[in-house]
Amino acid sequence: MSWLKYAGKRLLMLIPVIICVTFLLYLILAAAPGSLARQLLGDDATPEQIAAKEAEMGLDDPVLVRYVKYMADVCRLDFGESWVNGESVLTRFATRLPNTLLLSVLAMLFACAVGIPLGIGSAIKQYSLLDYGSSFVAMLLFSIPAFWLGTMCQILFCLTLHWLPVSGFDNWKSMILPTVILGANTLATMIRMSRTSMLDVIRQDYIRTAKAKGASMRTVISHHAMRNSMIPIVTQVGVSFAGTIGGAVVTENIFNISGIGTMLLSAVKSRDVPVVLGTVIFVTIIVGVINLVVDLICALIDPRIDLAS
Amino acid sequence: MKKLVALLLAVVMVLTLVACGGGSGDSQTTNNDEGQTTAAKDTVILATSGEPYRFFAQSSQSCGGDDNLVLSNVYDCLLLLEADGSLSPALAESYDVSEDGLCYTFHLRQGVKFHNGEEMTAEDVKFTFDLGAAGPIGAALFVNYESSEIVDDYTINMYLSSPYAAFPYGVASRLGGIACKSYYDEVGEEGYMKAPIGTGPYKFVEYVSGSHTKLTANEDYWRGAPEIKNVIIQTVADTNTQILGLQNGDYDVVRNPSLDVCTRLDGVDGVAWNSALSTGRIGLLLPDWAGPGKDLNFRKAVQAAINKDDVNEAVFAGYSETLDIDMCSNYGGYVTEADGVEVVAYDPEAAKAYLADSNYNGEEFAITVTSGTILESCAKVVQAQLMEVGINCTIKAVDNPTYQDAWGTREYQAYINDNLCSLVDADGMYTVHRTDRWDAEHCWARDAEIEELLLAGRAAQGDARTPLYVEASNIITEEAYGVPLVNGLTTVAYSTALTGVEAHCLGNYNFYFWGWAE
Repeated sequence: MSWLKYAGKRLLMLIPVIICVTFLLYLILAAAPGSLARQLLGDDATPEQIAAKEAEMGLDDPVLVRYVKYMADVCRLDFGESWVNGESVLTRFATRLPNTLLLSVLAMLFACAVGIPLGIGSAIKQYSLLDYGSSFVAMLLFSIPAFWLGTMCQILFCLTLHWLPVSGFDNWKSMILPTVILGANTLATMIRMSRTSMLDVIRQDYIRTAKAKGASMRTVISHHAMRNSMIPIVTQVGVSFAGTIGGAVVTENIFNISGIGTMLLSAVKSRDVPVVLGTVIFVTIIVGVINLVVDLICALIDPRIDLAS
Repeated sequence: MKKLVALLLAVVMVLTLVACGGGSGDSQTTNNDEGQTTAAKDTVILATSGEPYRFFAQSSQSCGGDDNLVLSNVYDCLLLLEADGSLSPALAESYDVSEDGLCYTFHLRQGVKFHNGEEMTAEDVKFTFDLGAAGPIGAALFVNYESSEIVDDYTINMYLSSPYAAFPYGVASRLGGIACKSYYDEVGEEGYMKAPIGTGPYKFVEYVSGSHTKLTANEDYWRGAPEIKNVIIQTVADTNTQILGLQNGDYDVVRNPSLDVCTRLDGVDGVAWNSALSTGRIGLLLPDWAGPGKDLNFRKAVQAAINKDDVNEAVFAGYSETLDIDMCSNYGGYVTEADGVEVVAYDPEAAKAYLADSNYNGEEFAITVTSGTILESCAKVVQAQLMEVGINCTIKAVDNPTYQDAWGTREYQAYINDNLCSLVDADGMYTVHRTDRWDAEHCWARDAEIEELLLAGRAAQGDARTPLYVEASNIITEEAYGVPLVNGLTTVAYSTALTGVEAHCLGNYNFYFWGWAE
C-alpha cells in the first residue's frame, strides 16, 4: 500500500500550502482601500450604520484575529457566507464546480486527443509538411490570447455562420467553443511537448536496436517508443489541467458559464472575502489532488518510479 | 497493485465526468437552438450584468437597482412611475393631499389579488409602508413618512411628519411595492425573500445564483394577462457577450448597454435600441475644503473651462442633455433660466483670467472617478479641457469600494459622480448639500444656507418651490461648488421581434407592456 501512504503524505503537504496562500490573500484583501460595509449599505449610510455593519461582518477585529477565526471556522468545514448575498460559500461552490470541472476535462481531452497525435506525427515525420504545419499552429495558439480568440470565434461561428450559440454550457453545441478556446493553449503545449518527447525517444539506442532487428516502424513506435515518450507528456497534462482551471476564468466569462471562474471574478470585484478565500482553498485542494493523480499515473507508466522511496 | 491504482483512477475520472454532466444542466438556461425556437413566442431572455437577488424590498437587507428588475414586475405600487418620470395610477385609483401637505389619502383599486389568491387591502398597504419606513432605505424613499391609518378596506390615510412634495415618487419607488401581510406573517422575512409574492404581472419562479431568475405571467393580473408568458433574467457579466448574444438570438433584450455599443447596432438586422434621460445628474464636485479648490477663483476657472457639449458628444454621442444646474429636466420642481437660474457659459479665456487671479501654482488637481465607467470617460474630456487652460489635472480612477469611501469621507480634490435620484424630484440636490451627513470641515462654506433652502423646497407645494430652488442653485453656481455636466442616460437594446420595449428613466423594465411583433 505504498501508494496510499504516498497519497496521504501528499495530501497533508497541502495544509501548509493552503495556510500560506490564504494568509497572503487575506492580507492583500484586508489592505485594499474602501469599505465594503459602505458599498453594501449605499451612499446614504451614516457612519454609525457603517460601523454597525462592519461589526456585524467582524471587520472591527485586527486582521490576524480575523484570519485565525476564519481558519478555525474552515477547520470545522464552515466556509462562511457571501458578504454580498448571504449564500453559503460551500453551496455556491458545489453548484458551480461541475461546470468548471466539465469544461476543464473537456478542454484537456480535446487538447490531448488532437495535440498528442499531432506532436507524435510531427516527430515521426520530422521536417515534413505535417511537422511545419503543426509547429505553426502551435505557435499561433500560444500567441493568441483566449479573450480575442473567443470573441473572433463567436463572430465567425455564431453571428456569421449561425452554427453555434454565443453563450451557455448546457448542450453539446454550446460546449464546443468554450472547450476549444480553453483547450487551445494546452493543445499548443501538447503538440510541442509530445513532438520533443518522441524525438528524444526515437533517437535512443534501444529504438535503433529494435529497428535493426527488423521490427516495423509501427511496432517500434507503438511498442517501444510510445510508453517512454508518455512520461513527460503525462506530467505536462497534470500541470496543464491545473492551468485550465485557472484559465477558465476568462473562458467562463466570455461564454457566460456559471462556474467557479466567474464566481471568483465577481467576488474579487465586490470584495466578497469569504467567497474569494473559500474558492482559493477549494481550487488549491483540487490542483493538489490533480498533481497527485498525475504522479500516480506516472508511476504506473514508468516502473523506475518507486513511490515507496 | 498498479492495476488496482489504474482501475481506481479510471473510476474517479468516469465519476467526475458523470457528476459534471449531471450538474451542469440545472444551473443554465435555455441558450440552445431548441431553446431559441421555443422561446420565440412565449419567453423573453433579458441579459444583465448586475444580478438581482433581493426580492423583498422592505426587508432588513435593503435592495438596489438590479433587484428592481424583479421587484417592479412581481410587485405593484400604489402609483406607477412611467418611463418619462411621470406618475400614473396603479393599485391606487386616485389620491388626495391635504392642504397642509401632511396627509395623503389613497383610494385603492378593489378586487386586486396577490399571487396566492388573497385580496389586497389597506391592511397590506399599511403593513408595507410601516415595514419599509423602518428599514434601511426607508428614510431615503419614504421621506417624512410617519404612520398610516386604515379608513376602510380600500381607503388609507398616510401621515407625514412634515410636508414632502416628492412623497408620491417614494410611493411609486421600489420600496412601495405592496407586500402581502398574511403571507409575511406565515413565512417571515427570509421566506418572503426566497419566494416573494405581490400583485404584479409576473410571478416569481426561481433564482439560481450566478445564473438567472425566472418569472412567469400572472394570468389573473388586474390589468389583464401579460402577453409575454415567461421572462428569464440572465446574468451575463461580459458586455461583449451580451451584445453578440442579442445579435445571435441567444438573448432578446440587453439591459443598459453603453452608447457606443448601441450606435454600432444601427443598421443591424433584427436588433434595435433606444435611450431615455435618466434621473442621474453627472457632475463635477469642487470642494472648498481641500486642494486647489479652496480658492474661489480656481473653482470659477474650472467652471468656465468646461465645455459640456463636448462631454455630451464624447460620452453620449450627443444623445443626452447638458445640465445647467444640479437637476435633471424630468425632476418635479425643475427650474430653468426663465425662472431666474444663473448659467455659466463655456469661456476658456475667462477661465484663464480666473486662474491668473487665483493662488494656483500648477500643483496636481486630481479628479476621483470609478475606473472603466462613463464617469472616467467624462473625466478624460474634462481633464483635456482643464489642461488647455493651464490646470495640471489628473484622473484618480479607483474601484467601486474606494470610490464610495471617497464619497463617504469626502477625501477628494474633485469628484465626478452620477447622482441618481429615485424620487425624480428637485429634492435630489439635498443628498449633496445636507449638513448632517458630514462634519463641518467636509461641508461647503454655504451648505447650511443651501440646506435651509432645500428643506424649505421639499416642504413647499407647487410653484412655491421655484424661488427656493432657484436661489439654492444660484448659490452653488456663484460659489462654483460644482459643475453640472450632463444628464445620465439609460439604454436598452432589443430584438425587433418585441414591441413596447423602451428605456425607463430609472432603468426599470415593465415586462407587462412588452409584446411580440406581428
